[in-house]
Amino acid sequence: MKKPESSPSPLTLPARAIWHALYWTYERATWQYDLMVIAILAFVWLTPPSWLGDPTAAGSGPIGWLIHLFR
Amino acid sequence: MFPLQAIITLCVKFRIHPNVLTFIGVLINFAAAWCLALGHFVLGGFVMIVANIFDFIDGKVARELQMESAFGGFWDSVMDRFSDISLFIGLIYLYSTLGRTDYVMISAVAMMFAILTSYTRARAESLVEKCKVGFMERPERIVLFMIGAFTNRMAAVLWVIGILSIATVFDRIYYTWRELGHTKSRAAA
Repeated sequence: MKKPESSPSPLTLPARAIWHALYWTYERATWQYDLMVIAILAFVWLTPPSWLGDPTAAGSGPIGWLIHLFR
Repeated sequence: MFPLQAIITLCVKFRIHPNVLTFIGVLINFAAAWCLALGHFVLGGFVMIVANIFDFIDGKVARELQMESAFGGFWDSVMDRFSDISLFIGLIYLYSTLGRTDYVMISAVAMMFAILTSYTRARAESLVEKCKVGFMERPERIVLFMIGAFTNRMAAVLWVIGILSIATVFDRIYYTWRELGHTKSRAAA
């Protein structure tokens, strides 16, 4: 598998990050993979279901359970 | 992993054919899809775990029984598609009974690109040596389905599977196009 090119890129850092997130060439068990997993879990668990018009979600979900736990 | 090893040992002892285990896994996935269709997400999540145990052990049993074969790999891969599609169909049924055409469409698009993810890789690897780019492969998809089922966040999970499957398909198309271009220019040189 090809590694991401290390030659100087004309893209800025945020643009490169977005490019590498979309054009995914990383293996599992790399820090990039872990970061992607964190981002996905954050989206799934922290996005209010009403924003997505979730037809089945009930309650505040995992983030609500945590808030309830630390109250 | 003791419980899994015990199941593998039992299957080896009774000489259960690995292709039969693969097929049982698919049948259990159909049951998981049925649970999703009825909106029983947590139960569906547990059934998915059982189905994936079969998916995990079939290869190991094949190795222990020395029954590994090219057909076994092909069978496993085709059965995986049945499992994947059945879960999406379960969700499509659920959202259609709830009258949510928007999520029927999101599920259908996610299903289309999830299938294309495997197809593009299989087709690309008939042309180039390896095409393992893209994030959203089957293990990620299955774990996401379980997370969605257990935490009742299936809509968010469908968005993630859909968008990342679309990205994965385009990654594979782009990678193959680039690789074939390189091969052509190398051959011409």
